[in-house]
Amino acid sequence: MSAAIGKRQKATTFQLLAPGVVWMILFLVAPIMMIVYVSFWTQTTFAINSTLTLDSWRNFFASEAYVGALWTTIRLWLIVLTLTFLIGYPAALYVGLLVKSKTVATVLLVLCVIPFWTSFLIRVLAWRPMLGKEGAINIILQKVGLIDTPIEVLLFSELSVIIGMTQIYVVFMVGPIAFMLGRIDRNIIEAARDLGAGFGRIFWKIIFPLSLPGVVVGAIFVSVMVLGEFATSGALSGRKVNLLGNIIVTQVGSLKWAMASVVGVILTILLGIVVAGFLRIVDLKREI
Amino acid sequence: MTQSDPIFRLEGVTRRYGNLTALDGIDFGAEDNSYIALLGPSGSGKTSLLRVIAGFEAPDTGRIWFQGRDITDLPAHERGIGFVFQNFALFPHLTIFENVAFGLRNGATKVPDAEITDRVRASIDMVGLAGLEDRNPDQISGGQKQRVALARSLVMQPKLVLLDEPLGALDANLRERMQTELRTIRERLDVTFLHVTGSETEALAMGDRVAVLDAGRIVQYDTPDAIYDRPIISDVALFLNRFNLFEGTLKDGSFHGAFGAAPVSSVRANDSDVYAIRYDRTRIFDTDASDLPGPALPVRYLASEYLGSSIIFLFETADHKTVEVDHHLSLGEPRDLSVGQNYILSWDPAQAIVFGKEAAQ
Repeated sequence: MSAAIGKRQKATTFQLLAPGVVWMILFLVAPIMMIVYVSFWTQTTFAINSTLTLDSWRNFFASEAYVGALWTTIRLWLIVLTLTFLIGYPAALYVGLLVKSKTVATVLLVLCVIPFWTSFLIRVLAWRPMLGKEGAINIILQKVGLIDTPIEVLLFSELSVIIGMTQIYVVFMVGPIAFMLGRIDRNIIEAARDLGAGFGRIFWKIIFPLSLPGVVVGAIFVSVMVLGEFATSGALSGRKVNLLGNIIVTQVGSLKWAMASVVGVILTILLGIVVAGFLRIVDLKREI
Repeated sequence: MTQSDPIFRLEGVTRRYGNLTALDGIDFGAEDNSYIALLGPSGSGKTSLLRVIAGFEAPDTGRIWFQGRDITDLPAHERGIGFVFQNFALFPHLTIFENVAFGLRNGATKVPDAEITDRVRASIDMVGLAGLEDRNPDQISGGQKQRVALARSLVMQPKLVLLDEPLGALDANLRERMQTELRTIRERLDVTFLHVTGSETEALAMGDRVAVLDAGRIVQYDTPDAIYDRPIISDVALFLNRFNLFEGTLKDGSFHGAFGAAPVSSVRANDSDVYAIRYDRTRIFDTDASDLPGPALPVRYLASEYLGSSIIFLFETADHKTVEVDHHLSLGEPRDLSVGQNYILSWDPAQAIVFGKEAAQ
């Protein structure tokens, strides 16, 4: 009797899982396998054939430009991740914990999301008139008299890419952290105060550890998006900053499928390591 | 210090939230080394009072004294007053040991590690949780969480511990065991417990003294038996949930109510005229009985509740007011009553407590 029920439950579980599994195999697993496969194909100037070779992989690691792009991607990712955390955490702390009224907290979170009403590209390009040689920041600084000649490094540099990415992705850090902070029982904080702990102690021993799952989720969001980025660096760096994403775009543009696949595989492995690393910090299944 | 020195004292403490006055000029002093129960219905301001004493909220006016020091403007973490939350408020990411050690590790005074270990172990032992030090709060039961919360406060060796409905989240069985245990633990340490509760039985059972809070004011502060036998105003009698209360008028030494007129020997000052007779002093008679001990209240029988040692009979008066009679089974078998039938309730008028606008004596 119970074996029959168990069998039927197993069948139901399988039926419920099937659509998702089929979908993932068709549109995630199969394409990834294909990319891995193509990365070993033989590329000639105008054609590609399925003879297996390591040439594209050798070319990638032999080229200073490609390996340089890998390091630039990692460096920019770390900088943007740090900045989104440093800017996002205090904002989340304010929205999620310090604002007492739930309504005000919701309104503030919605305000964070409002920039998403305009398209991604416009948000990126809007930094050009801000940061340019004759842009808003330079004009204001000159009018105030702080500088004589415009600061040129503001636009078409690594700095402008960092500024642009931080502004766009910081909200993905604020959201999850504010959510975790909002779930902290206020009595716990009062209990810590009652036991003699000052604000600093309470923050480092209670509030921060309890918000860590939010930090990890936010960091995963930001990492996944920044590591695969190509548009912000394309629009704000003046082609001076090449990320792995930019290389994929140009390689695909010139029909170099094998090299594009190599970069794609490297990027996927990098993302896998980063996400797995973050998931080791906290047990998300337990928290959510 | 002798028993009668106040460990803490409130002077005209008032706390308002907008138009609502939660605490209305409270003057109160609590003896050192005693168990004080603070009884009040919900909304009477009892939680506000605890929060003001603990320092989570500041009073609008008034001063708070603790161990002879004015602590009104001292922040909560510098007061050294323990607080046990109703929902326990354990730190979910720390083990039981680290929960208890939190105050010692993070307080203003540095405590050596060896001393922390000793004190935490002693405190966990005292509440009977030895062996659970490495568990997380989500791996222990409600009663055990309660003990951790208590150990976490007591390890700081406070002179005053505030308990906000500490037994409210426990089931009835556990509640009774914790009642005894809380008293035993307190007696072993030189500490005052201020235990807030909405349950009159809990307050009377636990407190060396009971303070009754009503509408932001402490209306009576006395020993449990004094509160039980001599409620100072009709509201206190109402909270105790042991009295049938009747409205009426007090005139020329007799009280006129639903039961006719009853002779009155003494009257307590009150906002309105109220006649109170305890459930277990009210007796049941047939409608044609002629040997009534006092006034006659015609009622209709509704239902009964069996409580093991006694039975509560519920009646309804002509104006749809519920009247209760508590018949203790040691007094003999109760009489058979039929639902919907009319009966007469009566009592010895000398056992009634009368509250009146004009206190005669």
